[in-house]
Amino acid sequence: MTIVPSSLVEQPRLASPPPAGPRKESGWRRRDRRWGYVFVGPQLIGMAIFVLVPFLGSMVLAFASWDGLSELTWVGFDNFISQLQDPLLLRSILNTLLIAAITVPIGLGFSVVIAVALEKLKTRTLYLVLFFAPVVTSTVAVAMIWQQMLRADGVLSSSISKIFGIAPPDWLGDPGLALISVCIVSIWASMGLNVIIFLAGLQNISPSVIEAAKLDGAGALGIFWSIRLPLLSPIIFFSSVIAFISSLQTFDVVFVLTANAGPDNATRTIVYHIYDLGFGRFEFGPSSAAAVILLLLTLVITFIQFGVQKKVVHYEDGAE
Amino acid sequence: MRISSSRRLIAVLSATAIAVSLAACSGTSSASDPNTVVWSTWGTPEELTRFEDFNQEFMKRHPDISVKLQPVASYSDYHSKLLAQLTSNTAPDVFYVGDDKIGQFVASNRLMPLTALMESGESQTKPDDFFPGLFGAAQTDDDIYAAPNDANPDVLWYDKAALQAAGITEDPATLAAAGEWTTAKYLEMNTALKQAGLTGSMFWNYWATHYSWISAQGGSAFDTSGTFDANTDVTSVEAMDVMARNFQDGTFVVADTLPEGAGADSVFVTHKAGFFSQGRYTIGTVTSAGVQDDYDIVAWPTPSGTPAPTGVAASYLAINAGTKAKDAAFTFWTEFLSAEGQTFRLSGGGNAVPSIKGADDVVLEDGYPAHAQTFLDMRDIGFAAPPEEARVPGLSGDVSDLMLKLYQGNDDAQTALDEVADLIISKSRS
Amino acid sequence: MTLTQRTRTLLIHTALGVAALAMVFPFIWMLLTSLKTLPQLLQDPLSFWPNPWTLNNYIDAWNAAPFAQAYMNSVYITVLAVVGTLLTASMAGYAFARIKFRGSRFLFILFLATQMIPKQVTLIPFYLLMSSLGWVDSHLSLIVPAMMVNPFAVFLMRQFVLSLPKELEEAALVDGAGRWRTFWSVILPNLRPGLGALSIIVALDVWNAFLFPLVLLNTPDLFTVPLLLSSFRGQFGSINYGLVMAASAVSTIPMLVAFVIGQRRIISSMAASGLGGR
Repeated sequence: MTIVPSSLVEQPRLASPPPAGPRKESGWRRRDRRWGYVFVGPQLIGMAIFVLVPFLGSMVLAFASWDGLSELTWVGFDNFISQLQDPLLLRSILNTLLIAAITVPIGLGFSVVIAVALEKLKTRTLYLVLFFAPVVTSTVAVAMIWQQMLRADGVLSSSISKIFGIAPPDWLGDPGLALISVCIVSIWASMGLNVIIFLAGLQNISPSVIEAAKLDGAGALGIFWSIRLPLLSPIIFFSSVIAFISSLQTFDVVFVLTANAGPDNATRTIVYHIYDLGFGRFEFGPSSAAAVILLLLTLVITFIQFGVQKKVVHYEDGAE
Repeated sequence: MRISSSRRLIAVLSATAIAVSLAACSGTSSASDPNTVVWSTWGTPEELTRFEDFNQEFMKRHPDISVKLQPVASYSDYHSKLLAQLTSNTAPDVFYVGDDKIGQFVASNRLMPLTALMESGESQTKPDDFFPGLFGAAQTDDDIYAAPNDANPDVLWYDKAALQAAGITEDPATLAAAGEWTTAKYLEMNTALKQAGLTGSMFWNYWATHYSWISAQGGSAFDTSGTFDANTDVTSVEAMDVMARNFQDGTFVVADTLPEGAGADSVFVTHKAGFFSQGRYTIGTVTSAGVQDDYDIVAWPTPSGTPAPTGVAASYLAINAGTKAKDAAFTFWTEFLSAEGQTFRLSGGGNAVPSIKGADDVVLEDGYPAHAQTFLDMRDIGFAAPPEEARVPGLSGDVSDLMLKLYQGNDDAQTALDEVADLIISKSRS
Repeated sequence: MTLTQRTRTLLIHTALGVAALAMVFPFIWMLLTSLKTLPQLLQDPLSFWPNPWTLNNYIDAWNAAPFAQAYMNSVYITVLAVVGTLLTASMAGYAFARIKFRGSRFLFILFLATQMIPKQVTLIPFYLLMSSLGWVDSHLSLIVPAMMVNPFAVFLMRQFVLSLPKELEEAALVDGAGRWRTFWSVILPNLRPGLGALSIIVALDVWNAFLFPLVLLNTPDLFTVPLLLSSFRGQFGSINYGLVMAASAVSTIPMLVAFVIGQRRIISSMAASGLGGR
């Protein structure tokens, strides 16, 4: 087991330090406040110029009809109305939520289990490299392999067919299964990073806590549920927020795995919808309107997550 | 200590600043002077090398003009980039446009009208020099806005070894020469292939497949005014019904549904399919697999055996309406498209067929495939992507999605064609 | 019945081995495919081992496109972007974690919210902005925004700073060190492990960026590795997958090597810096 520099690990667990520190005068505070802006400055300016300005630009387009080539005309809320009535958008939202609901719990669950297993081993370097490989494999290779694996006449389908005595599933051709296939590949592609983050989190749990639990007669499973998982919950939360946000933006996997968003738009996600409207159909107004809808959706889900977090996530010293 | 830390900050910041300004210098500004022509296209590294060679030759002929190529890798990415460039008026002077996008570009007035220039004395490419069916949506009632840079008629490639393995003794090209290449014969061969455990024919799911079949069977997809009428034309509905039934029982295969890397190409060169509807670029596939002697080409079968017009894939070369280098751009445009230009681009392993008269040797010189003349015959009478579809970006793909439902057995021909008709009407109105 | 330590370890190894194989299989396939000839790929696309083995795809890929130049471009863009991000993100993370200033909570939420904007939406306005700055067809359009905008990195660095003991900086501040010196000589050195982790994540992002470089760069000499890579797939006809895979391998192996070299430090550093503790 890797020895973690204890000076860094243990200290945060101490009770909060006494409120000592530089409380000299209000002048210091005022100057200190300025330092806050200085430190945030570069990222804040960058965000304002390179994200907010372009984003506001595309928000303006949500109220216009524009093909990128001709004159722009204002249409008010028409794009929002037409998008909200567009069965394709509703389909995309549904698909995206399904992908998030499937990939985030299963992907993080697998990652935790694998991280726990890895943590028990002395030599894990090889495994780590293997698990990290999908992160760096080119998307063309990913498409080639997975399209091959998911063929109706492929190994996977024919063994399923033999074992369960059913017709071989056509993973990418069947509208019901295409979305599942996208989820499988998404989980596969993102697991490497999560395993590494969780492993780091597990190594951070002080061995003495585990030892104490063992002395109390707790079994391996009991220790996992009552010690490891709660102590890991803050990092799981961090990862789940990031994973949710990125699964709501699922695009690459759909793009490489299923041509034209699969059979009957079965794998059309919101970002695919946005991209297809804009660059496939030159309808930048509806595309921007769909983007606003996605943003609102993401905000709502993230707020819910932060709400749930207060009840479920275990913080060592009560900090947020 | 204070000094040293702020010194380090300054050192870091200035190093960054220097690095960043070096990066800034490495960019070349696309000059807007009247003697520089910037043009863009998509293509593989080999194609792009050929284009660079063309640039060099061109600049030798015209020392006063400098030409720059802005290559973009893939076809789909290309149009995203071109659009971004057009919105900020930084698009190249001359650029390729795909046949599924050309309609929208024409409608937006971003392309230079070319008829007058093409008829001028400077022109090496008169409007009549091109095969008329190939202009498609690049031509309106008023003017020509782009011309096909070359063409790729979808012929039926066939595998003599596979036909033989299925016990077929007749040769499609020989039958065609005798005027006996009928739909009945073709379907008979496909049935035999199927019974021998092989795939009958493979088609890509796109406009040329649906409309070539309809047209070959004597039906009509679009009437003379351009309205989609396949759903009201009995012959067309029947034709699509036949096609759909063949797809549904596995005699025909939609090539798009085969996985990447082990796809239609590989099925074809391993003698597992009888026919494959593709263009001249297939020469590269069969040659690199070393099996070219087993393959030949034939036109689409018709009920009577007399060839009918079928689809020709094309891409177009247009001039930016806002170009600062109008004369130089046209000089480049016309030489790129001229018979000499196309011969230069397409000779020696070329992957397309000339779109202009007077360059046909390029297709015939290698004597491969044996009936290479069929490429030319099919181009002469063929049609480009229907303007009604090409005018609305994405519409062509939507139509093919509906057709795929038909091919996969989730719809009957009449319903599918009705849905296509409704779709085209609803998209064209808005 | 209790399992002995040995059998348990064996079980874990078996289970992990199977999972790891599934994870790495496409990567192996990519390497093996890159060593196959085109005739083999067409004749027998499902064969596992190359027969015959060939390095020609690598030679052809290297010769067909200016890889050396693209490598140079990608490396220096990635290095600059990573260094810049580490500095700006740790500064912002430190401020959000430790300095009380008006609007800090609002700004932090704003940062989180911008993480939720899909990049594809802003492509056209971003292009217009770059065009008006004169940064189109210049690496500036890739480097500067990458250096200055990374909400994820700010979020992560805030978590890292939060996990540092407060006494560390308070001692320095009491000694009369200013905020900058405290940050530079106390916080930053202690963040080193976290910075290692962040640099891998940022480097992956920048190295693999495709859509924005595609639209922003025109001159082939300025292309990055992914742009070059995408040029191996044409519109029609047979794609030489051996060539595509060789090009892919050439472009991705550096990242894997960097990870192999760095992973021990990265993992232990993530643990050490207490990412798990928050």
